[in-house]
Amino acid sequence: MSSTYTLPVGPLHVALEEPMYFDVKVEGETVRAVELAAGHVHRGMEALAMNRNWFQNITLTERVCSLCSNSHPATYCMALENLAGIVVPERAQYLRVIADEVKRIASHLFNVGIMAHLVGFDSLFMHAMEIREIMQDVKEGVYGNRMNLGALTIGGCRYDIDEESKGFMLDQLNKLKPLVAELHNVYDTDPLIKTRTQGIGVLPLDKAIEYEVVGPVARASGVNYDVRRKVPYAVYPELDFEVQTDTAGDVHSRAMLRIREAVESVSILEQCLERMPEGPNQLPGFVPIPKGEAIARSEAPRGEVFYYVRSDGTDMPQRLKWRVPTYMNWEALQVMMAGCQVADIPLIVNSIDPCISCTER
Amino acid sequence: MNEIAQKILTDAVTTLLGEDSVHWTKDLKNNSYGWVKLCEHGALELLAPRLAAARARLLTITAYRTDKYARVEGREIAYHFDLDGVVLTVSVCVDEDPPRVPSISRWFRNADWNEREFMELYGIIVENHPNPRRLFIDKDLDSGQLDKLIPLSTMMNGASTKTLWEKVFSGMDMPKWAKEAK
Repeated sequence: MSSTYTLPVGPLHVALEEPMYFDVKVEGETVRAVELAAGHVHRGMEALAMNRNWFQNITLTERVCSLCSNSHPATYCMALENLAGIVVPERAQYLRVIADEVKRIASHLFNVGIMAHLVGFDSLFMHAMEIREIMQDVKEGVYGNRMNLGALTIGGCRYDIDEESKGFMLDQLNKLKPLVAELHNVYDTDPLIKTRTQGIGVLPLDKAIEYEVVGPVARASGVNYDVRRKVPYAVYPELDFEVQTDTAGDVHSRAMLRIREAVESVSILEQCLERMPEGPNQLPGFVPIPKGEAIARSEAPRGEVFYYVRSDGTDMPQRLKWRVPTYMNWEALQVMMAGCQVADIPLIVNSIDPCISCTER
Repeated sequence: MNEIAQKILTDAVTTLLGEDSVHWTKDLKNNSYGWVKLCEHGALELLAPRLAAARARLLTITAYRTDKYARVEGREIAYHFDLDGVVLTVSVCVDEDPPRVPSISRWFRNADWNEREFMELYGIIVENHPNPRRLFIDKDLDSGQLDKLIPLSTMMNGASTKTLWEKVFSGMDMPKWAKEAK
């Protein structure tokens, strides 16, 4: 009898929210090698983007991903602003940071919640999702939507925060803070969580650099790279926050890092709401996009988002290319899964916070 | 920090391609972007190991037609690198027919997926690719889907629905009521 066999996981699988196919070579219960086959939700969005005008692409890019839906139009607009030399009003820059950080908190809480579910701790999963609901209420109350905020436009924002919404947001943040602190404590001390996640799916620093991973996955392995600090944009240089890093590089450290980042995001939101100056939230008219090429980057919840725009002087892009954070993190699963147990596969996959519709576009 | 990274990248490029081969732009937050145009044959294979030695990181690769509607032949591939927050974009001309470029995955491991993606979307041949499988597009489909001019009206006019059902019905015995239905 052969000692190894191949275990197919996916494309449709109970532990995956989106379709991805893993060809897992196992020896007994131990994983020896992993091959990935993608392409189950390829939508050809880059081809669509070349057939839409500059404004229509704001709506299109918002639909690349649901959990980082604000980062995409934000980075797309930044690329166009770099190309056309558009100065975004200061209030709009604050509004953009607020939208991004609201999404980040909700996204991180969603990911750590799913982790509890995969561990089999479903009451903690529901508790994390209930805490996340506070941010969902912020989205629904301020933006009118629970996922796609529709906050961005070229040269500014399409929404504004009045005194009433500001008070509502601050109230929600005050509700959130003690609950996130409590959640951090549970994830940090609960024996069930620790047993299932510590020392599992380890990505050492040298491999993190070799595979060029980004976002919380990279930072949990000791790569101190946060686009908000490395490549300042919007009003991040004026805000006080710490880039979270760790050295353990396992499933647990990635989850803890996400909770700590959510705490930092709450502080960023409070600073923004306090300091946001009065003024216009967008430019009065449309600035023509000249011929040329430009790049913009931002830190989405999952890591670095990259946009490259190339214009031939018409009202549609000659080429619009974006690279999402998860695209960089898939291959590193081969390192994280080597030698792991079959039962840990979903936990490790979830720990890179994968977004498949993002990856394939 | 930014100036050091910019200087390292500049040196890596100019020692190979000469002074003025890279030009720098800045955005309003003072982030630097370098731009290099590479049309000499074989220059990419000389530049890539230099950038790898400078510990640059490959951000992504963008392939595109020099003319969107293919009225003029020619493709370009833009390789985007990052070093400590500074981006360097190296645009490589691809003039051969059939279009081909060397793989840089020897120096940049994450070039693997990017190269497979433009292989299937633009029909560009990547020489010495370690794993030239399809990435996203099914192997039954033609390569170079993004390289063809398909007007949006054709892409989205719903013609496929009728064609699909005609194929389905041609392969099965239709019930009498369906044949008679207008």
